[in-house]
Amino acid sequence: MYEWLGPAMFLGALVILGIGYPVAFSLGATAIVFGIIGVSLGIFDPIIIRAMPSRIFNVMSNYTLLAIPYFIFLGSMLEKSGLAEDLLDTMGVLFGPIRGGLAISVVVVGALLAATTGVVAATVVAMGLISLPIMLRYGYNKELACGVICAAGTLGQIIPPSVVLVVLGDQIGVSVGRLFLGSLIPGLLLAAALAFYCWIVALLKPEMAPALPLSARSMSGAALAKRVVQVMIPPLLLIVAVLGSIFFGIATATEAGAVGALGATLLALANRRLTWKNFIAVCDATMRATTMVLFILIGSTAFALVFRALSGDKFVFDLMANLPGGAWGFLIVSMLIVFFLGFFIDFFEICFIVIPLFVPVAKALGFDLVWFGVLLGANLQTSFLTPPFGFALFYLRGVAPPGITTGDIYRGVVPFIAIQLTIVVILIFFPQLALYLPAISFGR
Amino acid sequence: ACGQPPAVTNQPTTAPAQPTAAGGEQPTAAAPTAQAPAQGSSMPAVEWRMGTSWPISLDTIYGGATVLAERVAELSNGMFKITTFPAGELFPGLEVVQNVSQGTVESGHTALYYYVGLDPAWAFGTSLPFGLTAQQQNSWLYHGGGEAAINKLGQNFNVISFAAGNTGTQMGGWFRREINTVADLQGLKMRIPGLGAQVLKNLGVVTQTLPGGEIFQALSTGAIDAAEWVGPYDDEKLGLPDAAEFYYAPGWWEPGPSLHAVFNLDAWNKLPKEYQNFIRVAAWESNMNMLAKYDALNNDALERIVAKGKKLRVYSDEIMNAAQKASFELYAGYESAAFKEIFPSWNAFRQKIQRWHQTNELPFNVFVKNNPI
Amino acid sequence: MQALLRLSRIIDTFTEWVGRLAYILVPVVVGVGVWNVANRYVGRAIGRTLGSNFYIEAQWYIFSMIFLLGAAYALKHNEHVRVDVFYSNFSPKRKALVNLLGTLFFLLPFCGLLIYFGWPYVEQSWRIRENSPDPGGLPRYIIKTFLIVSPILLIIQGISEAIKYFAAFRGVLDPSQVVVEEKETKL
Ligand code: NA
Ligand code: NA
Repeated sequence: MYEWLGPAMFLGALVILGIGYPVAFSLGATAIVFGIIGVSLGIFDPIIIRAMPSRIFNVMSNYTLLAIPYFIFLGSMLEKSGLAEDLLDTMGVLFGPIRGGLAISVVVVGALLAATTGVVAATVVAMGLISLPIMLRYGYNKELACGVICAAGTLGQIIPPSVVLVVLGDQIGVSVGRLFLGSLIPGLLLAAALAFYCWIVALLKPEMAPALPLSARSMSGAALAKRVVQVMIPPLLLIVAVLGSIFFGIATATEAGAVGALGATLLALANRRLTWKNFIAVCDATMRATTMVLFILIGSTAFALVFRALSGDKFVFDLMANLPGGAWGFLIVSMLIVFFLGFFIDFFEICFIVIPLFVPVAKALGFDLVWFGVLLGANLQTSFLTPPFGFALFYLRGVAPPGITTGDIYRGVVPFIAIQLTIVVILIFFPQLALYLPAISFGR
Repeated sequence: ACGQPPAVTNQPTTAPAQPTAAGGEQPTAAAPTAQAPAQGSSMPAVEWRMGTSWPISLDTIYGGATVLAERVAELSNGMFKITTFPAGELFPGLEVVQNVSQGTVESGHTALYYYVGLDPAWAFGTSLPFGLTAQQQNSWLYHGGGEAAINKLGQNFNVISFAAGNTGTQMGGWFRREINTVADLQGLKMRIPGLGAQVLKNLGVVTQTLPGGEIFQALSTGAIDAAEWVGPYDDEKLGLPDAAEFYYAPGWWEPGPSLHAVFNLDAWNKLPKEYQNFIRVAAWESNMNMLAKYDALNNDALERIVAKGKKLRVYSDEIMNAAQKASFELYAGYESAAFKEIFPSWNAFRQKIQRWHQTNELPFNVFVKNNPI
Repeated sequence: MQALLRLSRIIDTFTEWVGRLAYILVPVVVGVGVWNVANRYVGRAIGRTLGSNFYIEAQWYIFSMIFLLGAAYALKHNEHVRVDVFYSNFSPKRKALVNLLGTLFFLLPFCGLLIYFGWPYVEQSWRIRENSPDPGGLPRYIIKTFLIVSPILLIIQGISEAIKYFAAFRGVLDPSQVVVEEKETKL
């Protein structure tokens, strides 16, 4: 009789979120509003809300989510200690002489930082601050420069390890280690595709991505080689420490995160970059970002409880399970929903609100959940880029020099969004790209 | 022990469970049934929720809840509906008793020994290391004062519970290396929850409770050396036969663990007498059905595991003796008033029924084993 | 109004200190995490039992305390992420209004709900002195208490926020000063 209440609640949430008050509490408020409606219509007994503290307790004691502060710590440490900045600087000098080289170096650095941390803000802000002015000075097209920085900055979400994959693994109910390994090849593929695009653009339209003039090559070959090795060591060590310990079964994702956090601290220390002030700033940033993520989760657990009490999940399940075209119909619709929601709401909201509705259907249709998770991860990554609401865009806008308009950034990311979607489509047709590594590591 | 429901996700991820969904197969003729009373307007429509500790993927154990719900619906001609929920959908799987006690839901399906943190005496409801087999556990519950003792304890928590499932003797877990002596246990890292973990810890094992979803990875990569789950059928589902070489028997920490349907006492007391009877009858059926089903499924699964070349082992007498001694030392140390009250009668019952089974059933089993035909 | 603003400043100082306590726990959770990995290998090498549920549970206890204690601090620093499709184009005064109404009608009721439904849950845990079901684990009633503490801290800071946004909306404070934009630490 009141089946429409579930979908109404979902739309209600979008409206309430649109007001602009923090998501965590807006979701909580949506739960209250629709809880009152549901109770007054006699659909459910308010006592069911007593499950709330239990559900939050479950978030607290969740071993997987424990990885979140570790990876954020790791990323902030690299950013605040300046190790990320060094890397970008050096790569710029190295690739600068090639046409489109600066753009390619942004992709390379993005991929390296991605493989160490998975924190979008750190990557985008660092690269925006350092490489955007350089690219503009040497005549790069504004839109291309902005687009490549945003796209490279979000690589961190699909190249493991990443907070996004941790949350996704938890939501889908697959081992985070498997999801990490599953997204490694697709992530590298995406990085390669981005670099390839920059190269093609430079080839076809040299004026968009010119080479650096000879006068800008400040370092000699030997000194440059030494510098490259030096700046590459910290991220490479961390990649080995974090991914290697997962791949070779030394540690779970959470443990690898803890070790990586310590590793980043030691590297900063070894490079004499760890001041007390930086250290406190890293702790502070880690606490803030962790709190932000976990509180969206708490808000959404309230939302999900009321949504369920209104049988909204059943409604969605029936709807999705009965789509025409069976598995394909579901796959296409779910991917489109995730993509379009990405324009308006942020990754974590999608992950916490929508994914739980898809998973039972995907299971029922017999999808490999690791593959489905990698697909979702690749798709969700675009949500960082899609206007009007994309974190990467905000960060860049926050640090961009005056000549850059929001429009430049929005237009600049469009081709990169197209590249990301192409990767999603490739993954749909070649699941092995996602399943090969987990299979050889875990033997199943 | 399933110990902890697998992959208790913070966010519900499973389909809304229809009472008919993933449940056990329809029990066959031998199951007890109750005659539905004369129908009429006197039968009120009642809708209850049942939160469980299980994901739907543990179909047999989750079936303990669905078989009960289906039978109650049938007996009441659809007037008394119980909707079952997998772990995490309403609340996490390890907080069933807390939530039933508070009335979040009217009923739950869980293993009572998850709640030893509330009172160690809850362990009697499920299983104690070196305690009772399934047959003996049922005997104790139904005719040895067990059910009354559990429900007296339950009064402190405002709940009443009935056995509604038993897995039979569980397996002793998967090991990456052979263990023969107590010395081999030192520093061994094992995934095992509950009182069994308590005992093994006293013998030098580092015990850990991992959710089901993480066990395969931890074991296959050597992050842990050993892990126990349930038995061949469920272990196979988790992929454990691909993660370790040695499969040990028996699961001496759970010789015959009961699962329970738990009800909020206020809700229970408000229920019409017939409905209470429907639940009791349905719980009996569920109890019998789960054990029978597990015994049937485990046979085939064990054969597949052996065909894979996995090595079956039996715990050495040295380890078993040390574990048995450590178990009873543990029981002597519990401060809980309820534990102290239940233990003597439980223990006396255990000794008596073991003597009886050793007199009669054991020689038969020994003969059959030694003289296969 | 001035008295209210004084109250707001006192609350802000209090929240700031609680926040510091929360972020000091960050290196602790890293340390415990590393310890849990290390002792597995060290313990095996020296053949002794080093790891225990004490440290395993301490790890998520501290993790929980970080975000439960940090929530009010994050609120003060405008760290909780918004959907700012429209919000970003609002005038500072309009933003102040959104925040004022959001605090009063979203934040405070939600925290009230958490406390109302959390109370019997936490009370039950204290009454039976709920323990960990695992050997060597930590008492549960202590960490469950934070389920109440966190929304209380949020309500306290919410009062301060409401005062500031009200003052900004009425023009007592400069709205563009109150509606801070801090984005730098997000993911
Ligand atoms: Na990453
Ligand atoms: Na977006």
